[in-house]
Amino acid sequence: MLTADRVTFAYRAGAPRVVDDVSLSIAPGSMVGILGPNGSGKTTLLKMLSGTLTPSAGQLLFDRRPLRDWPRRELARRIAMVPQETHAPFDFTVIDIVLMGRFPHLGTFALEGPADLAIAKQALASTGMSAFEDRPFATLSGGEKQRVVIASALAQSPALLLLDEPTASLDLGHQLDVQLLLTRLNRDGGVTMVLSTHDLNLAAALCRDLILLRAGRVIAQGPADDVLTPETVRALYGVDADVTRHPVAGHLTVTPLARVP
Amino acid sequence: MPPIRTRLLITLTGFGLVLAATILTGPLIGSTHISLSRVFDRTLAFADNADAQIFFIARLPRVLAGALVGASLAAAGVVFQALLRNPLATPDTLGVSSGAALGAMLAITLHINVTAFGVSSVPVASFAGSIGALGIVYALASARRRGLSTIVLLLGGVTMTAFFQALILFTQYLADFADTFRTVRWLMGTLDVGSYGPILAALPIVLVAFALLSTLPRSLDLISLGADAAAARGVDVVAAERFALASASLATGAAVSLAGPVGFIGLVVPHLVRLIVGSDHRLVLPASALFGASFLIVCDAVARTVWPSGELPVGIITALIGGPFFLWLLVRK
Amino acid sequence: MTVAHRAIAAKRRAAALIASTVAVAVLLAAIVSASARTTVIGQQPSRPERIVSLIPAVTEMIYAMGDGARVAAVSNYDHFPADVARLPRVGGLLDPSVERILAIKPDLVIVYATQKELIERQDRARIPYFSYQHKALPDIMTTIRAIGARIGSSAQAESVASAMQRSLGEIRAKAAGLPRPATLLVFERDPSSLRNVFASGGYGFLHDMLEIAGGRNVFADVKKQAVQASTEMLIASKPDVIIELLYGDSLKNADIAKELRAWDALASVPAVRTHRILALTGDEFVVPGPRVVDATRKLARAIHPDAFQ
Repeated sequence: MLTADRVTFAYRAGAPRVVDDVSLSIAPGSMVGILGPNGSGKTTLLKMLSGTLTPSAGQLLFDRRPLRDWPRRELARRIAMVPQETHAPFDFTVIDIVLMGRFPHLGTFALEGPADLAIAKQALASTGMSAFEDRPFATLSGGEKQRVVIASALAQSPALLLLDEPTASLDLGHQLDVQLLLTRLNRDGGVTMVLSTHDLNLAAALCRDLILLRAGRVIAQGPADDVLTPETVRALYGVDADVTRHPVAGHLTVTPLARVP
Repeated sequence: MPPIRTRLLITLTGFGLVLAATILTGPLIGSTHISLSRVFDRTLAFADNADAQIFFIARLPRVLAGALVGASLAAAGVVFQALLRNPLATPDTLGVSSGAALGAMLAITLHINVTAFGVSSVPVASFAGSIGALGIVYALASARRRGLSTIVLLLGGVTMTAFFQALILFTQYLADFADTFRTVRWLMGTLDVGSYGPILAALPIVLVAFALLSTLPRSLDLISLGADAAAARGVDVVAAERFALASASLATGAAVSLAGPVGFIGLVVPHLVRLIVGSDHRLVLPASALFGASFLIVCDAVARTVWPSGELPVGIITALIGGPFFLWLLVRK
Repeated sequence: MTVAHRAIAAKRRAAALIASTVAVAVLLAAIVSASARTTVIGQQPSRPERIVSLIPAVTEMIYAMGDGARVAAVSNYDHFPADVARLPRVGGLLDPSVERILAIKPDLVIVYATQKELIERQDRARIPYFSYQHKALPDIMTTIRAIGARIGSSAQAESVASAMQRSLGEIRAKAAGLPRPATLLVFERDPSSLRNVFASGGYGFLHDMLEIAGGRNVFADVKKQAVQASTEMLIASKPDVIIELLYGDSLKNADIAKELRAWDALASVPAVRTHRILALTGDEFVVPGPRVVDATRKLARAIHPDAFQ
């Protein structure tokens, strides 16, 4: 569905490369995690995948067509992005925010109709936030806001959903809520997902495939079971860890043990 | 909440009626008593009809100018607030008003006396000043990366404002006494245009600005949540920001050149409107334009009747209303 | 002389010495303190020979008294009489140059009463000054007399002031019996438009001149010197005569005929209908000095052309 071919990004010519010679391929229906420490270039990579940032070198293809050849709105009908944080300077309500996701499906002067409203409400329901419909967005907690923004991305009816650190500011309960939501959307809704995170256990729990990123370079990619090993964890975080399959949850878990000097 | 279509209809109708009411009653208010039947008495020649002259030459142009200036400043306020993602932004924030003021000061102090398109030099110079200020701020903000950097825009605007204010003070210092008096009066803002010429000269600019603005409301909604988020939803952020900056500055420049720098409209009206219609810019932008027009017409009616021995500059009234209102807003939050 | 006599004589001599020393000391103290006090108040010497005048009206008064030769420097805004062209300039109301004033080494500086900082500096520099206040027409004569007293030309000042009073009285008498048309006296507005029109209110020497000249100020009931007249106020005031004063820079590039046509927009105003709109040029209209007589006469001629040839 989405491929990156030797993609590089630097803010200026000669500046250090934030993303360096990265190649990857996202298959439809997959759930991919981009895993790496802070500053490894995850967010930048994600922005390039969404078409918001143009790579300094290399190519990005969506459905075999170069990303830059896609008209903006058409692309937005297929790819949606959930940023790490959303701050609303004005008093938008929850449903206001979700309805903004319908923008790529409407023209400049078109107004949302009953069909759009239905899609928005459905998206809100799938994130469990229907009760908050008319509440001001600014009064919500971090986790509630995040779920609303996910609903807004879902309202775009995308084939591919990109999420930047989706559970970073969430407490355990809300983290689990989002995990379950994303799993359900991917498995039952068929939405392809790429999420970036520095949380190893989240990546292990959620993603079937992983891309490990360090200092802008891919050091390993493939199925999570193959890629997540004590060696790669050491290479990525400088930490000696125990990687085992959890008997109840069924997925790999990573337990840090000691710092590698 | 009813669907957007319904809300838009109700909003436009409601605020439209308010505006129609103020435009119709505005010319009836004034320091002189006139009789409406005399005004429209066709048997009297216009040149003999003092009541008609007061209505059509003194008051009606003021009301129309008030509508144009109020709508422009309120709409510009909405756009600047969205562009800078800050509800406290005003048309003055980016230095456009100060540039306009400097243009006018220079025209008055240097006794530039050139008329263009039937408009005298002060409005023309004022408009040129506002566009000059816009150009500098825009060049600064887009110098670094693709698109406009909000922070640079804001800092550049604040710096330009301070710089222009300094130049204005310097110009006033060099001016002789009569000119200083004139410039101080100009800075207070007045809608007494006395004829339709200046209004007709400003009208095309305002229409162009509004035409550009009309493409923006939904984009402004999305951009206010973040440029990257907006881009990911399909907004052409660079184009939208350029349109926003250009249209809001054109509207501000035209308004200031017509009536001088009338303050608080761009700040107070959008806030009041948001309290009534919510934050969706597709409602806020047209409602602010309509309400801004009504609001300024009312302020001007107060300005020309409240003082027994003359007329107050309308900028004083907007400040007297706007200041306390704004404090109340802050306390409320 | 006996020893006793010599002793007494010595004592007398000592006493006299002490007394005269004390007397001299007291006298010196009196002189020093007297001169210090009077310098701070700003009086003396009685015949200043190096006068700096910051007020054009006062400059004209001094010349009218025949003491023009004693004026050493004037303000940037002085243009009359022609002799002042060769004098050095020291600034004006808003921007007096203290350095330039001191460089002239004046023995009298004529300042505006509102120039408080300048006055303080004169005090510190011990330069005598005369404080001028701008008021109405009768005050012009009062000021002439006061200036005359100050510079030691009381007699000349008296004759100038009396002559002015006589002339003004004649004009007033001549205009007394004539009908008084409602008059709008405009002294400032935006060029080529009727925006920011400033007209004389019911106070001040412009108003006084107008009344003497036989006009009735349409804004006589507004108790201010200047009225900013909006379009509505202009139409509602219904003047029979409109007089525009043009002077200084606004006169330089003005196409007077074109400027007066700006009033055509207000067709219902009686003055416009009967074409009684006049421009009077020259700064004698805005300098409240000896030339107000000329100005008043010209005003009278403008308002009553038949009576005043």
